[in-house]
Amino acid sequence: MIRKWFIALCCLLPLTGFAQDKVLHIYNWSEYLNPDLITAFEEQYDCRVKQDYFDSNEALYAKLKAGAGGYDLIFPSSYMVSIMAEQGMLQELNHDLIPNLKHIDRSFLKLTEDRDMKYSVQYMVGSTGIGYIDGRVEMDEPSWAIFANEEYAGRMTLLNDMREVIGAALKYLGYSLNTTDEAQLDEAAEVAIAWKKNIAKYESEQYKNGLVSLEFLVSQGYSGDVMQGMEENEDIAYVIPKEGTSLYSDDMAIPVGAENAELAHAFINFLHEPENAASNTDFVWYLCPNTASYEFLSEEVKEDPAVFLDPEVVAKSEVIRDLGEENAKYVKVWDRIKAAQ
Amino acid sequence: MADRTSERKQEWLISAPSMVWLTVLFLAPTLLVFAISFRPSTPFGGVGEGWTLQTIRELANPNYPAIIWRTVWLSLATTVICLGLAVPCAYFMARARARWKPVLLMLVIIPFWTNFLIRIFAWKVLLHPEGLVKKLLLAVGLVEPRDILMYNENAVLLVLVYSYLSFAILPIYAAAEKFDFSLLEAAMDLGATRLRAFLQVFLPGISRGLITAALVVFIPALGSYVIPDLMGGPSGEMIGNKIAQRVFVDRNLPHASALAAVLTLAVVVPMVAVIFLQRQKKPARAKEAGG
Amino acid sequence: MKRSRIPLYTTLVCLLFFYLPIIILIVNSFNKSRFGSVWGGFSLRWYQKLMENRDVWFALKNTAIIAVSATIVSMVLGTLAAFALHRYRSRLQNAHYTLVYTPLVVPDILMGMSLLLLFVQVKVQLSLFTIFLAHVTFCISYVAMVVLARLQDFDFSVVEAARDLGASTRQVVTGVLLPLLAPGILAGGLLAFTLSIDDFVITFFVAGPGSTTLPIQIYSMIKHGSPPVINALSTILLAVTFVMVWLSQRLTEEKTTS
Repeated sequence: MIRKWFIALCCLLPLTGFAQDKVLHIYNWSEYLNPDLITAFEEQYDCRVKQDYFDSNEALYAKLKAGAGGYDLIFPSSYMVSIMAEQGMLQELNHDLIPNLKHIDRSFLKLTEDRDMKYSVQYMVGSTGIGYIDGRVEMDEPSWAIFANEEYAGRMTLLNDMREVIGAALKYLGYSLNTTDEAQLDEAAEVAIAWKKNIAKYESEQYKNGLVSLEFLVSQGYSGDVMQGMEENEDIAYVIPKEGTSLYSDDMAIPVGAENAELAHAFINFLHEPENAASNTDFVWYLCPNTASYEFLSEEVKEDPAVFLDPEVVAKSEVIRDLGEENAKYVKVWDRIKAAQ
Repeated sequence: MADRTSERKQEWLISAPSMVWLTVLFLAPTLLVFAISFRPSTPFGGVGEGWTLQTIRELANPNYPAIIWRTVWLSLATTVICLGLAVPCAYFMARARARWKPVLLMLVIIPFWTNFLIRIFAWKVLLHPEGLVKKLLLAVGLVEPRDILMYNENAVLLVLVYSYLSFAILPIYAAAEKFDFSLLEAAMDLGATRLRAFLQVFLPGISRGLITAALVVFIPALGSYVIPDLMGGPSGEMIGNKIAQRVFVDRNLPHASALAAVLTLAVVVPMVAVIFLQRQKKPARAKEAGG
Repeated sequence: MKRSRIPLYTTLVCLLFFYLPIIILIVNSFNKSRFGSVWGGFSLRWYQKLMENRDVWFALKNTAIIAVSATIVSMVLGTLAAFALHRYRSRLQNAHYTLVYTPLVVPDILMGMSLLLLFVQVKVQLSLFTIFLAHVTFCISYVAMVVLARLQDFDFSVVEAARDLGASTRQVVTGVLLPLLAPGILAGGLLAFTLSIDDFVITFFVAGPGSTTLPIQIYSMIKHGSPPVINALSTILLAVTFVMVWLSQRLTEEKTTS
């Protein structure tokens, strides 16, 4: 009896194996793609789309470096695109397979470094700002100084991202957020340490839920995430501090070793179909820089100054650039901030 | 003589599968961690060529003592609190009526088998700044409206204790089950107070269970990563978080390896010593180990 | 003579401590309101949302594949290891014992990180398969320890008797040893199965494309998802756990009565 059972189980083993049909593996930020589009794509191309999520560019990079080959499409921010391209981790794109590139909004190209779209196509652009609960928090003049306000101690969060936190402190002091001047970085460290005393934690992911459930009252956050929160709790508001902030463009790229590069091209093209781009923007509340899509956007999104960035804001803000070897300076400052009591 | 060699062959044959598997997938990777600690890191997250002591020197980072100290004291405090609660529980369970024993045992085992992320999540809901516990404590005047229950070391400690308490109860209960309780009565008949009988007769009688319990709480606590990540505040990092940060954020595998190597040594050296002593003293092996 | 009440009270406090968060979680999974601190009426809508979440189903499938295959392989390897450790006394077995025992006490994060380094160095692509390798590695030791404990209670005169009656080694193993030890091996397997289903940290390090398991999914839902949906998922998992514990208790009872 036991032997039969055992043999039966052993026979199951190969069945549990690793058979595959046509699957597009994508590695993306969470809540960053309208699921209806995935379903539509699956039907149109008769394939399966499997999505995994990362929470920071560094985590994406570390995973790919660590041998997580097999992703067909990834969504790094543009500074990470430069690093990966330099490291030979990305395939050159075949523009013939992506006719919708003609719709790309040229005015946002300055947010990326890969302006010829050799390795990447812009997916979404957004800003880092402050999400807060209207009615519980006074925000007359939006400023990073809010994190020094003890009134909200223990109910605020900063992003768990060294460049964003140190960058906010640098901006607050009036410096560039890509500085490599150690005196400026030291000053920024002091500011960030003072902020740290008032925050509940460094948090890049849960702040959206935290704002919705009133766990947090003030959060440094990404524009679209905060606005997704508004759909569940209408007291949430989003502002960009007067000192300026960081802007970013998340791009689509195909890693070397992709198993379905052709399907990945098709997916890029599909996401830049004007109607699809618009429905995606409506869903994620970031802006897909696709000129032809703007007319399909919902009124609400069209009028939102946080989706369509104000030129004045853009003028004061910067894009985070990778600093190569100088990056170590930021790691050091970040260690110091994290260890400070 | 032929019998001896065939016996020897058989021993090798049935030992080989597990030994080979664990050598390739456990021993080799652990040694690899030590080796990579002596490699330079490249700015793009790779492991460089050649050998260096640079990473080891970087361990003298002035920020580390605080993190190590926090890791050690949180783990120690967790162990002490868990044992303090587990001993009376195990005592009660071992002396309960036979009918009740399986029920009590099951009640302790269920949390042990529940997904630990879910248990952490349950506490996040409970300790929410506008949640149930806060409202209760406010009502009885134990906290101020502005006090925060989560995102500090106490919350981490609370959830650590919650996560490992059943790990502590089970081995102590297993030892207490075998304890002859008439010894306690005998001690008291001879004039010992209840406390003294408990301390000098019961505790030594279950010492093996206590040691196992302390180890199965203390060691995983040292390597905690998820609990401080979810419950800790901006200053709540433990060594585990630092290792994860070096791997997934700083792209510095050698540095992560060096930290991991230190933690491995801190855990494995005393353990191997204990195993060796136990095995030489007593051929019958630690039964509780599987628990 | 009056016994101290302290153990009783401590036990009650501990049980309350264990179950209070769990009970609130279960209650909230049926709470119509999104916010845990107010009761908005009974509702099953979070369960419905959960059923519609295809990521969860996908993760569940991955978890099942890994748990079943890792359990089977580790049962075989672990049982063999236990036999060897029980039967022989030699320097080889001392080393073997250390090798089997140490993974039990090494923190998860170390095992995850060292396996990741190994896979990077030998350039193995991260995938479901690497998760399977990792899970077998930590399950072997648990199975071995559980079976070893059973072997120590085992009455080997039965084996002698079978031998005397002329049974071959193979007949002894398949006809006598395995059936009698089956409850122990199954208990070990069950432990391996739950550990595999539950593991987050090690899996997190060695997971590759399309290999999200249930704990990783839960972790990502805790961070991004809607809390009531996690309540619903947790309640279902608790029910499954309850059944599993009950089953394993039955197995243990069978062993003591046989």
